[in-house]
Amino acid sequence: MDTKKKFLSSLFSENPVTGLMLGLCPTLATTTSAENGLGMGLAATFVLVASNVVISSLRHLIPNRVRIPAFIVIIATFVTLVDMGMEATFYDLHKTLGLFIPLIVVNCIILGRAEAFASKNPVWHSFLDGLFMGLGFTFSLFILGSLREILGSGSWLGMRLVPQSWNTILVFVLAPGAFLTLAFIFIGMNKISKLVEGDKR
Amino acid sequence: MDKQESGIRVIVTLVLISFLAALLLAYVNKITREPIARNVRNETLKAVKIVLKPLGNITYPFTAKTIRLKDFTARYYPAFGPDSVIVGYAFIVKAPNGFGGDFDLMVGVDSSGKVTDTYVLNHKETPGLGDNMRKEDFKKQFRGRTLTNTRWKVKKDGGDIDALTAATITSRAFTYGVERALLAFKKLRER
Repeated sequence: MDTKKKFLSSLFSENPVTGLMLGLCPTLATTTSAENGLGMGLAATFVLVASNVVISSLRHLIPNRVRIPAFIVIIATFVTLVDMGMEATFYDLHKTLGLFIPLIVVNCIILGRAEAFASKNPVWHSFLDGLFMGLGFTFSLFILGSLREILGSGSWLGMRLVPQSWNTILVFVLAPGAFLTLAFIFIGMNKISKLVEGDKR
Repeated sequence: MDKQESGIRVIVTLVLISFLAALLLAYVNKITREPIARNVRNETLKAVKIVLKPLGNITYPFTAKTIRLKDFTARYYPAFGPDSVIVGYAFIVKAPNGFGGDFDLMVGVDSSGKVTDTYVLNHKETPGLGDNMRKEDFKKQFRGRTLTNTRWKVKKDGGDIDALTAATITSRAFTYGVERALLAFKKLRER
């Protein structure tokens, strides 16, 4: 497996959000600020890596007929662990993201990677796949969150960029702004991925 | 490849996985329960200090008392000044019907019935809009208001409170929340 190539492709052409168009619901909902996007991305990355490793190491034991229920139990366990761990350590972040953490269970990126990759590949490859896919997801969420925060609230990672008295473009913090920003990011990422990886299509 | 596994193997595997998952969760729940409870308690106690800051050095009990009114229940911390006299109260009230449901608000009230400050304990309001209720620009208009010198409604509804831009529902809930704290204060005084 070409690690570098896989890393690049999970950031760009196979990026879960902009390439595979998976997990758009949490993407739109949690990216009102760069910090929220980053937090959600990292939480999902942890779940992705952990569930990929466990599912991959159990792939010969889990009967094919009940693999989806088994995967969901494993994923839900890790999500609950993240939820409790985060509330105990990063209480403030948990207050803003707490609502979305349980939804990672049904995030299709995680079940998608479990089904499409981890259940067929050795542990080490599944670990890398989970890590890279998670970083790709975090990368997209961070860009989307940054753009929406800068345009909609006039700040970035909580730092003010424009004077308080300026009116910012409020719509970008709201749901319609998420769709608008996402569309532009799709365009941008497709262009960039062609530049970085060469045109494969 | 898709050979039929025996039913027993299917059951045993699922039960085993669920059992291990439950074991792991129980263990982590046990070690995180204490820090989580501490985080919540610390934040509440810190909030008391913030909302009653103008009263200077105060002492207050670590557990809240409860007061029941006709429409709602409030919790409160009495704050004692240097001579063990009550100089104010920090009320925890539910601000009703915010954009994301009720949220918990702490309101500091001094002994003359004036609002000293407010603090949002937890909420599900829209980030970037309703969320701005935690900012100074919005909070400052409540300081010094009493139950009688203010019409406790947002301006749109014919009251005295400036609503947040594009977050009238949140502002309305917030306003009623503060009013509730003052009603609870009045009731405490009548007792």
